[in-house]
Amino acid sequence: MAETTKYQNRIELMQGTLDMLVLQALLREPMHGYAIAQKIRSRSGEVFTVETGSLYPALHRLERQKWVKSEWKLTESKQRAKFYQLTALGRKQLTTDHQRWLQLVSAIGAVMEPEVQP
Amino acid sequence: MRWPWERAKESLSEELEAHLHIATAERVARGEDPAQARAAALRELGNLPLIEDVTRERWGWMWLENILHDTRYALRQLRRAPAFTATALLTLAFGIGANLGVFQLLYAVILAELPIPHPEEVVRIHAARTPFDQSWTISYPAYQRLRAATPDVPLMASAYAQDATLDLPNRAPIEAACTLVSDNYFSGLGVAPATGRLFVQADERMGQGEWPVVLRYDFARKTFGSAQQAVGQHILLNGRAFVVIGVANRRFLGDRTGYAPDIWLPLAVQNTGALAVPWDSLGPGHDVSLGKPWYNQPTIFWLVLMARIPPVRRAAVLAHWDQVFRDDREVMTEATADSVVKNALLHVRTGVAPLSENGMRKRFTVPLTILMALSASIFLVGCLNLANLQLARLHARAHDLSVRMALGASRGRLIRQIVLEDALLVAGGSVCAFALGSAASGILVRWVSNRNDLFTLDLHPNLPLAALGAGLMLLSLLCFSILPAVIAIRTGVGQAAGSRAKVAGVSQTAHQRFRSNVLLGTQVSLSLLLSTMSACFAATLVHWETVDVGMDREHVLIVRPELHEPRYTDHSEMLPELYSRIQERLQELPGVRSAAVEMCGGIHCGWITALYVNGRNDLTDAQVHGQEDHVGIGFFPTLGIPILRGRDFSSSDTDKTQRVAIISRAYARQLFGDADPIGQWVGYGPAPNDHKFLIVGEVADARVNGAEREAPPVVYMSINQNPAPVNSIRVRAVGDPRQLSDSVRHALSEVDPALHVSEIVPLATELDGDLGTEKLLARLAGVYASLTLLLVAIGFYGVMSSRTTRRKNEFGIRLALGATRGHIQMLIVGQTARILLSGILPGAILSILAVRAASHFLYGSVSANSLAIIGASIVLAIAGSVATLIPAHRAALADPLEMLRSE
Repeated sequence: MAETTKYQNRIELMQGTLDMLVLQALLREPMHGYAIAQKIRSRSGEVFTVETGSLYPALHRLERQKWVKSEWKLTESKQRAKFYQLTALGRKQLTTDHQRWLQLVSAIGAVMEPEVQP
Repeated sequence: MRWPWERAKESLSEELEAHLHIATAERVARGEDPAQARAAALRELGNLPLIEDVTRERWGWMWLENILHDTRYALRQLRRAPAFTATALLTLAFGIGANLGVFQLLYAVILAELPIPHPEEVVRIHAARTPFDQSWTISYPAYQRLRAATPDVPLMASAYAQDATLDLPNRAPIEAACTLVSDNYFSGLGVAPATGRLFVQADERMGQGEWPVVLRYDFARKTFGSAQQAVGQHILLNGRAFVVIGVANRRFLGDRTGYAPDIWLPLAVQNTGALAVPWDSLGPGHDVSLGKPWYNQPTIFWLVLMARIPPVRRAAVLAHWDQVFRDDREVMTEATADSVVKNALLHVRTGVAPLSENGMRKRFTVPLTILMALSASIFLVGCLNLANLQLARLHARAHDLSVRMALGASRGRLIRQIVLEDALLVAGGSVCAFALGSAASGILVRWVSNRNDLFTLDLHPNLPLAALGAGLMLLSLLCFSILPAVIAIRTGVGQAAGSRAKVAGVSQTAHQRFRSNVLLGTQVSLSLLLSTMSACFAATLVHWETVDVGMDREHVLIVRPELHEPRYTDHSEMLPELYSRIQERLQELPGVRSAAVEMCGGIHCGWITALYVNGRNDLTDAQVHGQEDHVGIGFFPTLGIPILRGRDFSSSDTDKTQRVAIISRAYARQLFGDADPIGQWVGYGPAPNDHKFLIVGEVADARVNGAEREAPPVVYMSINQNPAPVNSIRVRAVGDPRQLSDSVRHALSEVDPALHVSEIVPLATELDGDLGTEKLLARLAGVYASLTLLLVAIGFYGVMSSRTTRRKNEFGIRLALGATRGHIQMLIVGQTARILLSGILPGAILSILAVRAASHFLYGSVSANSLAIIGASIVLAIAGSVATLIPAHRAALADPLEMLRSE
C-alpha cells in the first residue's frame, strides 16, 4: 500500500500538466501509449521522462472523462496496440488547459522578474 | 458469466504487454540483444501489477470489485465455520426478533395514534358517571340535546353491543363483535371507506326493513373474500335482515385500542331489540322499560361520547354542554339517597379525556415495558456472546491474518473483510428476525388475549419498527464485529506477525483473558436476571391459578343453556319447575355431587345494585352498593361456598311467599358491621322501599369477579321468587368436571329436547381466562431465560475450547511433569467457576432490584423471590460447568508426548 500511495502522490502532483501534455501529444493523430511517452520525451528535449506508472492511469482517467477515446489497432510493425484519439471534448479541454498554462507561466514570470529599484 | 471488469482487466494487461513489445522491438531495432532489450524495457516499465492496480483505480469502480471479492471471501469463511455461523444467525434472529415482536405490540397498544386526520382533536366527552356502573354513558335524549346545542361540533356516540350471531347462506354461523354508532361517527372521525359508503343521516331513520351495516376491513375480507365482494351482501344478524353498505378503511379498527368491532350498525338498531347493549339506570324501582325502544327514555344510560373539538374552542363548548346537561344530572341524583353523592353529582363539570386514555394503555404499559427491558437484555446477552466468540475466532485466525498483512493487505482492508463477513451474518439474521418478529407479535397478542377478552391490534409494519430493526442491526454489528475486529487487528495480529512458530507461541495476554472473562461474567449476570424474572413470573402465574377463590374451582362445570327464547320467556312462571327437573336429572348422573342454576353466566357477571336497610337512613352510597345475583336452590353447596349463618334457599321460597335474600360476608360487614344480619329487612331503595326482602342467610366471600380481584359484596336472591331465564347451570363433579360434559349434555336433552346448550366450560378455565398479562409475562420470560441459558452455555463452551486449544502445550508439559488429568480438568473448571461467581454476584443484586421494580406484577414473598434467585444461580452454574466439562475433558485426555513433539 505504501508504494501505491507514492505513485498516487506523483500523479496528483503533475496531474494537470501531464494531462495537458498527453492531450497535446494526441493533437495530430491517434497514438498508443508507448508512442505518446516517446513523443513527450523527444519534444521536451529528453527532459521529461513520462513514467509508465503515471502514463497509463492518466490515459484511463482521460478516457473516463471522455477527453480521449481508444481503439485496438495494428501498428506499422503489425503489433496489436491500443490507440488513443482526441475527442471534441478533449480538444476543448486542451485549449482551456493551454490558456491557463500560459497565464500561469506569465504570472510566475512576472513574479520572478527582478524588481526595479526606484 | 464474466464480470465486465474481468474483460477490462485483460484488456489492460494486453495493453501493457503491447507497450512492452513495442519498447523491446524498438530497442532491438536500435541493435540491442533481444533478451537484454526485453529486460531493459521491463526495468523501464516498472512494477507491472502495481501499474495495473493504480490504473484500475482510475476506472472508479474498484470498490465494487473489492466488495464482491470480499463478499465471496466472507461467504467462504462463513461456510468454513458452520457452528459459529449458525450460532450467530440464531442469536441475531432471536435477539433482534424478540425486540421487534415486543416493540410492535408496545407500539400498537401504547404509542400508536388512531389512523385518522388530526387525532389530537378528537376527545372522549365525560358528562357524568352513571349511578351504579360508574361508566361515562348518557341517554339517547340527552345525546340529541347536546348535539343540537352545538351543530358545528361533531359529537359522536357509540355503544358496544354484545357479540351477535351472523348467519350466512351455506355456512356455519359466526359470532361477530358489534358496535352501534351515530350517523356522524365516521364523518366526525374522518374515516374514509375502503369501498362502498359509510353512514349518513338517513341511516338513522327508524323502522327500516333492512338496516345498513359497515364492516371492518379484515373481517369483510375474511368473511366475504374481499371488501368489494362484501358490499351489497344481505346478512342475517341475530335473525334480522341487514345489508352491507360499505367497508371502513383498512387501518381503522375502531376507537378503542384492542377491541375492534367486526360490524358497525346505526344507533337506531337498538330500538329493534336485535342486539343486547349494556346499560345503566337509576336502579330497581324506577320507571325503565328495557324491552321498549330506548330513544325516548332519559333514564337509560348507554351511549359513550366522542367529539372533534379544536383545543382552543374546548372550554367554551364544554361550558355550553354543561348548561344543556343540567337537567340530566338532576335526573341522575334520583338514584341515590346519599346527599354527599347527590351534591357531588350536581357539581360535576363536563370534561374531556384523550382517546388514548383507555384501559389497554393503563393495563399494559408496565408489563410491556418490563418485556421490552427483558428483550433488550436478551439482545445484549446475544451481542456479548457473539463478541466473545468473535474474539476467540479472530485469535484463532491470527496466523492467517498476519500472513495476509505481511503480503501487503492493509489493516483497513482486513477489518473491512471481517466486518463484511459479519454484516452478511447480521443481514441474514435480520431477515429471520423480521419474519420472527412479525410472527412473534401475532403469538404475543394471542397469549395476552385471553378467553374473556380477545384483542385485535393493528400489527402492520411501521416506520418506528423499521428504524428499531435497523438500529439494532447496526448496534449488533458494532458490538460483535467492528469493535472485536479493531481490537484484534490492533493487538493480536500485530504481535503475531511472523513465523508460524511464533504464532503458535502467542499466548493470550492477561489483558485479553480479562476482557473475555468480563464479557462472559456480564452474560452470566444478565442471564441470572432473566432466569430470576422468569421464575418469579411463573410463580405468580401458578399463584393466581391456584389461589383460593372461595369456590371449588377444580370441580365445577359451567353449562350455558339458551333460555332467552319466547318458549321460555313468555312462560316464565313455568321456569322454577324446569329448573327443579334439570337439577334432579343432573344429580342422578354418576360423578355429579350437585347441580344448581344461576342467573350469571360466568365470572364478571353480577350486576351492581343497592341495598337499603329498614330503619337506617345513615347509609352512604359506598355502603349500600354491591353486586346482585339470582340463584337456584343448592347453589352454595354446588359452588362450594360455605353458609356461615342462617339457611340456604329452599323449595318453600316461592313467588307466593315472603321474598328472602342471602348476603355475602363482605356485604354484611358493609351494612351491619359485625352484627348478625339474619332477620334484617332490606330493599332496593330508601324508605318506603327498604323492607322488601328478609335476610335469611349469610355466606362466605367468593371471588366471583375473577381470581385476581377481591371478593365483592354480593346479595343473592332466589330465582324461584322472581322467575327468569338463567344463563348458566353449575354442576359440581366428584372428579374432573371435563369428563362430565357429554353426559350433562345428554341428560339436559332428555329433560327438554328443545333446550340448546351453547357452551360447557370448567370454572377453572373461566378463571384462568383472565390471566392474559400473567401468562404473557411468564411464557415470554421463560422463553428468554432458556435462550440466555443456552447462549451462556455456548459462550462458555466456545471460550473455554479456544483457551484449552491454545494452552495445549502447557498442559502437555504439566502432564509430563506429573500433573494428573484431574488437575488439568480442575484448572479449567476453576476458571469457569471464577467467572460464574463474578457474574452471579452482580446478577443477584440486579435481580433483587428488578424484582422490586416489578413487584406490582409479582405475587410472592421476599423469601420466595430469593429462592428464585438462588435456584436460577444453581441452574446457571450447572449450565456453565457442563459446557466447560467438554473442552476440559478433551484437554485432559490429550497425549503429552504428542503435544511435546509438536512443540
